[in-house]
Amino acid sequence: MMSDYALQQAFNALSVGGEYALLALGLAIVFSVMHLVNFAHGDMITVGGYAMFLLILFGVRDPFLVLPFGVLITVLAALLIERVAFKPVRGASPTTGMLTAFGVSIIIQNVALIFGGSRPKAVQTADWLASSLSIGSVQIPVVQVLETVVTLAAIIGLVALMRYTTVGLAMRAAAKDVPVVRLMGVKADRVILSAFAISGFLAGLAGIFILARRGAVDPFMGFAPVLKAFVAAVLGGFGSLPGAVVGGFALGIAEVGLQVLLPPEIAGFRDAFVFLLIGIVLVFRPQGILGERPDFGEKS
Amino acid sequence: MSNFLQSVRGALILGVVVGIIGVLAILFAEPFYQRIVFIFMVNLIAVIGLQVFMGNADITNYGHISFMGIAAYAVAILATPVAIKKTALATAPFGLGTIELGLPAAILIALAVTVLIAFLVGTMLVRQSGTPASIATLALLVIVHVVIMNWVDLTRGPRAIYGIPVKATLGLATICAILAIVAARLFRDSSWGLQLRAASENIAAASAMGVRIKRLRLVAWVVSAAICGVAGILFALFVGTISPKSFYFDLTFLTLAMLVVGGAYSVSGAVLGSIVVTFGFEIMRYLENGPQIAGLKLPTMFGLTGIFLGAIIVLCMILRPRGLVGDDEIDEIWRRRAKSRERSEISAKASGATQ
Repeated sequence: MMSDYALQQAFNALSVGGEYALLALGLAIVFSVMHLVNFAHGDMITVGGYAMFLLILFGVRDPFLVLPFGVLITVLAALLIERVAFKPVRGASPTTGMLTAFGVSIIIQNVALIFGGSRPKAVQTADWLASSLSIGSVQIPVVQVLETVVTLAAIIGLVALMRYTTVGLAMRAAAKDVPVVRLMGVKADRVILSAFAISGFLAGLAGIFILARRGAVDPFMGFAPVLKAFVAAVLGGFGSLPGAVVGGFALGIAEVGLQVLLPPEIAGFRDAFVFLLIGIVLVFRPQGILGERPDFGEKS
Repeated sequence: MSNFLQSVRGALILGVVVGIIGVLAILFAEPFYQRIVFIFMVNLIAVIGLQVFMGNADITNYGHISFMGIAAYAVAILATPVAIKKTALATAPFGLGTIELGLPAAILIALAVTVLIAFLVGTMLVRQSGTPASIATLALLVIVHVVIMNWVDLTRGPRAIYGIPVKATLGLATICAILAIVAARLFRDSSWGLQLRAASENIAAASAMGVRIKRLRLVAWVVSAAICGVAGILFALFVGTISPKSFYFDLTFLTLAMLVVGGAYSVSGAVLGSIVVTFGFEIMRYLENGPQIAGLKLPTMFGLTGIFLGAIIVLCMILRPRGLVGDDEIDEIWRRRAKSRERSEISAKASGATQ
């Protein structure tokens, strides 16, 4: 019985960690290419979520249409935000970029608030997403299995993309030295748009699972997950892609572990402990688990 | 010494502006507007506190409001009358439910607690710079919020603490704001402030010159927290009830927008930004509630203030990333302009003489 419980929690940890890894990867890929801390990352999920809500409102119920539509809109939202808000501050200091993203995030949340109201709106993703698989005597929600599998697939796909395609090569190079990449004749614009498209796609995937768990959209739904993704990114080493994955899963395991182990009186403090991880990282390993120590004199 | 006087004079120019706003409100404004001006003063003090760290160390800080919260809660828990605590905070630990301190003692202890916590957090925080440090300040905001929400015995959790003695007046808030301006300006122009600003321009060069960056960042962090603590204490002693949501993302957004719009790198920017954003924010809040303008009933649009804040942050970052005021204090800009005008007059005279 105990091992069943442990197995369930292990799957829980993997799926939560997968969600954080997807989000942290999206943050890291944009950060590595243009040193932008994308506060608005979670709000693209919100945009995708509302798009799905609207589509369902118009009578489209087939999840194989609704879910890809949500992902598509999330990607488009990411590209649009890049064009409108981040392109003008390209090359500015990291502080400027971060505050711009912060502003964009507030705008999206409040536009959703004006047009959608503050109450959550129910979004039925798919029945099979909400069901459970039984393996022997263990019940595991389909969402968790899928989330783990999709995360792993996305990571493998991303690795392949970064390794074997020209765009991937350009992005890896841009993470090291943007001016040189441009001197090689690569358009900076294309690299950055690709980074945003990938980050939007990953956010869209994570968004589906977030939505499947919550069953509703609200204006602030993207904010809390992305705060956690920040923690994951710092844990793993900010801007490092492998670090984002490791940080995401480490955070998922830590979070579920705390939930299981903390006595009920202080279970409410779980998030405080989770965010305290950042403090621990800063003290013992400022560059994160996989991050490289920045050259002395580098600003960010 | 003349530098010191110049700093004080520069600070007093801003102080006079703030003082005039305060005095006009005390003399002429109706209670509703006095309340707005009081909250403006509280926000202004928080923005100045934020400027001390953000402007000098050049690390975006999302955690300043947590110090406002800590100080507000500390003073509330210490100064609320025992009679009220019997119903509201009967289970408070450390016997806090049965003590009631006079205001001066409560304020001093609240500030001391804030400074102590800031010091402990700061020793961790200054080990990192740039983005990870900013995210750590964000984590601080979340942690403090979670603790206040969940330590129900001490803070009543999500429910408000009420019955805090309402002793703060607009006059007191104005004086505190002016003092905060002077303190922030003196810190900025002190050798510590100068070294910190140099380090934020070029960390390698500054440390090669012997700047002890971590230690100075810690000093700025603690001073910043103390000033924000004052804002929190004033808030608690004016409003009389506080709850965790008063000290979370909404106020963080608002104060950050104020600082960023005015310009984080000078105290003048902090003051100007607070004034401009307060104006805009109050207008938006009026519109948000669906007022009747010229016989036309506007719809209620909750979220308008948020869009306003977000939009001015984005616009400001695109058009004037260093804020309205820029890198120098207003009096420095004036002095430089006066000098260059003098110089051009002299050269004009000189060229006139030669003809």
